[in-house]
Amino acid sequence: MLLQHKDGQGTPAPGTEAVSLTSVRKVYGKGAAAVTALDDVTVGIPRGSFTAVMGPSGSGKSTFLHCAAGLDTPTSGTVRLGGTDLSGMNEVKLTELRRARVGFVFQAFNLVSSLDVAQNVTLPLRLSGTRTDKRWLEEILARVGLTERAHHRPAQLSGGQQQRVAIARALITRPEVIFGDEPTGALDTVTGRDVLTLLRQAVDETGQTVVMVTHDPVAAGYADTVLFLADGRIADSMAKPSADRVAERMAVLGGRA
Amino acid sequence: MLSLAWSTLRARKGAFAGAFVALMCASALVTACGVLLETGLRGDIAAERYAGAPIIVGADQQVHWTEHKKDKVKTKSKPLTERAWLPADTVDRLQKLPGVEKVTPEVTFPARTGRGTAQGHAWDSAALTPFTLAAGRAPRTDGEVVVDARAGLRPGATVIVSATAEAKTYTVVGVTAQALPSQGSLFFSGAEALRLAGRPGQVSAIGVFPASAEKAVRDALRGTPAKVYTGDARGPLEFIDASKARVTLISMGGALGGTSLLVAILVVVGTFALSIEQRRRELALLRAVAATPRQLRRMIGREALLVGLAAGLLGAVAGLALARALRSLFLHYGVMPQNLGLVLSPFPMAAGLGATLLAGWAAARLSARRTARIRPAEALAEAAMERRRPPWARTLIGLVVLAAHITLLAVLQGLDTEAAATPVTFLAVVLAAVAVALLGPVIARVAMTLLAVPLRLSRVSGHLAAANTTANTRRLASVITPLTLAVGMACTILFVPATVGDAATRQAREGAKAEIVLAGRVPHTATDAARALPGVRAVTEIVPSTIRVGRGKYAAQGVTPEGLGQTIDPGVRAGSLDRLAEGTMAVSATAAGHMHARLGDEMRLTLGDGTPARARVTAIYDRGLGFGDVLLPYGVVAAHVDDPLPRQVLVAGGSADALREAVRAHPGVQVLTSEQAQTLRKAQQSQNTEVNLVVMGLIIAFTAIAIVNTLAMATAERNREFALLRLIGTTRRQILRMLRLETLVVALVGILLGTGIALATLAAYGAGMTGAARPAFPPLIYLAVIAAGALLALVATAVPARLALTADPAEAIGSRED
Repeated sequence: MLLQHKDGQGTPAPGTEAVSLTSVRKVYGKGAAAVTALDDVTVGIPRGSFTAVMGPSGSGKSTFLHCAAGLDTPTSGTVRLGGTDLSGMNEVKLTELRRARVGFVFQAFNLVSSLDVAQNVTLPLRLSGTRTDKRWLEEILARVGLTERAHHRPAQLSGGQQQRVAIARALITRPEVIFGDEPTGALDTVTGRDVLTLLRQAVDETGQTVVMVTHDPVAAGYADTVLFLADGRIADSMAKPSADRVAERMAVLGGRA
Repeated sequence: MLSLAWSTLRARKGAFAGAFVALMCASALVTACGVLLETGLRGDIAAERYAGAPIIVGADQQVHWTEHKKDKVKTKSKPLTERAWLPADTVDRLQKLPGVEKVTPEVTFPARTGRGTAQGHAWDSAALTPFTLAAGRAPRTDGEVVVDARAGLRPGATVIVSATAEAKTYTVVGVTAQALPSQGSLFFSGAEALRLAGRPGQVSAIGVFPASAEKAVRDALRGTPAKVYTGDARGPLEFIDASKARVTLISMGGALGGTSLLVAILVVVGTFALSIEQRRRELALLRAVAATPRQLRRMIGREALLVGLAAGLLGAVAGLALARALRSLFLHYGVMPQNLGLVLSPFPMAAGLGATLLAGWAAARLSARRTARIRPAEALAEAAMERRRPPWARTLIGLVVLAAHITLLAVLQGLDTEAAATPVTFLAVVLAAVAVALLGPVIARVAMTLLAVPLRLSRVSGHLAAANTTANTRRLASVITPLTLAVGMACTILFVPATVGDAATRQAREGAKAEIVLAGRVPHTATDAARALPGVRAVTEIVPSTIRVGRGKYAAQGVTPEGLGQTIDPGVRAGSLDRLAEGTMAVSATAAGHMHARLGDEMRLTLGDGTPARARVTAIYDRGLGFGDVLLPYGVVAAHVDDPLPRQVLVAGGSADALREAVRAHPGVQVLTSEQAQTLRKAQQSQNTEVNLVVMGLIIAFTAIAIVNTLAMATAERNREFALLRLIGTTRRQILRMLRLETLVVALVGILLGTGIALATLAAYGAGMTGAARPAFPPLIYLAVIAAGALLALVATAVPARLALTADPAEAIGSRED
């Protein structure tokens, strides 16, 4: 499926897009020290797609992710998550929404060190007071290949295994979208590839929507679409990317920045 | 959520150890104070001497007065400080009652022998215990005595007894089969006992047999000053000091308990704040993964409850042991009578546990507020870095608390009784420490701006230390607080008695006109001998007591009025000491203010044994700390105290040698120069304050634990930082040196702040109590306090740092942050 550029021509019908941003601006600081991290970004991310967000440092990709995921509120503009408008929601409402509809995989420090693998995976369910479906948990652990390690603590796992736990945790709530913030950033090439394959499988096999911020062209190559950010704006997008083409495009963008 | 809290606790034992120790100490202190308080309120005092008499008739040992508050009338009672006696004709009345088989009148008086002070009685009343003879016979003549089984004397031995008159040698004619656990007993013949008691026409108590006569006795005595004591009530009658001990226990338990609870909350808040600060990343993750701020606060609150529960239970048990230890200490200092047993009930333990749970929970919730409120995106980004500006609300509240502290200091300047000033003093210090805790980041910033310059003189360690302390002012602030509290609290606790004591000594020295002082229990014959010596201009006998005017209690001294102006100069500002005679008194300016007394006013007094009296104010003097609140004629005071012998006799004129010769016949009487007497007085004073110091020392120890806690926690979290420093080529020695410099900076700031707080508080205390804002800071003790504080801080940093540095740096840096 291709990314739709909307150029402000009305909102698409709900149900086709997992996330949509309309004229989103995010400004940090005030007065002379103000920094515009996102500048009038309008974009829709279709359901069941794997989108990579790329851009040089300071291009606003982390802000993009935080705003899209309801971790941060934009200065102006609207963010919709599965048809729900996030503007005007307070922190508690946002948290509850994230709990139900969003999964996260961060670069590092993804897990609560005092909880074992199974406890970490079911943490969002526990926080929302939902009963854990044992079979679903087993299935997910099997999918990420950690059935044998369900009762290990994070400290006993390798970095790649820890990221797989984080993916399992993101999957457990059957979320609208999984957001990844440099999920392979702290991993070596081989284990990074495992993690990306897992995300790819989630999209292909269960129709999961995944949005991932990365600076690695190889990682971006696993996505359906790559969005390029520069100076807080969407500079370009690329469908069916390959690592080489992405790297080429990035070199141009990086040079311009 | 509880299970989440539990697994966090289990996994992060180290991070909670500090809070655990702080809470446990708090629980132990509160429990121990609760036991003391309850003992003071409800403790039974077993009768010893009166144990064998079913009914004891004695005078009311309390003073009563009524207070009118709006339309309510309240009757208040306080224990007397001296024993109230009964008129002897009560005995005749009791003898005539139906059902009464035997009536045994008793006189009690202090009888000092070479082995200490015993209680003297007549052998006729031995049955009250009952005492029986194991050897020898009863005393028949004035020169014979029966000693108790513990005295270790045999019939035929001689013993010198100094009772209320001059010392006299007695022959032991009998030894009893018994001895009382907490007092020695001496029995004289009836006539000799009456003479020694020195209270003609009065008895101290009357034993009535048998128990069945109780109703008849009560009916007959209704409306008379006599009261009937049976069962457990006999103990308090026998030991009137025990009532005083109860009051001491109640006030000490209250003050210690209250202060330690406040300190505990402060310490625990600090510890929790630090442990939460260290877990920011984990908490931020929980927020991002989907915990609402409320859930996070609840989780942290529950962790605290779990820690508090474990620490509180353990501490409560430890508190019982602490209460026992305090009891033996009080026994040692004579603050608590032997036969006042500790009351052990579940209440103090419950109070200790409850206080701990509440303190821990409140502390955790307070420290979690900001972390829980923060937006997860911010939190994730901020976790590794420090926030730039301290939140304005914190600074504002800090300023409000500081203002409260200053207000309290102003109040303190107006308080001139120890009972009122002491709690306010400690509260002021705690408030100041709270202000420091809140303003910590600001203080740290200012301090670092000043201190970074000298630190940078050292190129590696100093430079790093300056960078660390400047960049991480939050950590700096959290370790400054306990040091400030410890130094401020220690200085205040240690120097409060000295501040008053120094002023008292100064006043006593300035007002001393007599060159020579006879000390000890000085019999009148010795005084007379001194008076007859050539060159002696005036001799003043002094006996101490307490009196009450209205609801106020005042330290009174009975002094010989003749020639008083030659021996003391209490700084009379109005009236004259010359007119001091029966029916008049001199009052210190402070006490006059409390009594609302002006020169010439006639005041109603209650003397030490409860006897009402009237006295006109003929002089008002300034040196109240040195000479007591009230000066009364010697005879007026001596007739109403248990021990009427003067403790001091001031002699103006005459030579020391001649005096020494004159009192040679009176053992136990010392001839001192005025200067020696002051030293003795000071020593006695510090003996009195020592017990207070030991008790309040527990609070100092508690704050010391807090120093170790916070510094160890703050250092232990820096594992990765140390590893990084080593990997880029910093030597272990340089790192340790850097840490030492950092700690010294912390110690310097903490000590300065603590000293400032103590100085301000003591100045306000001194201004109220002594009229001069002159805090006493004995230099040696002060140096010891700050050296101990700095040393603790250094050790608490060095030990965890050395442990951290033993790890392989490459491995340490790879380890997960949490």
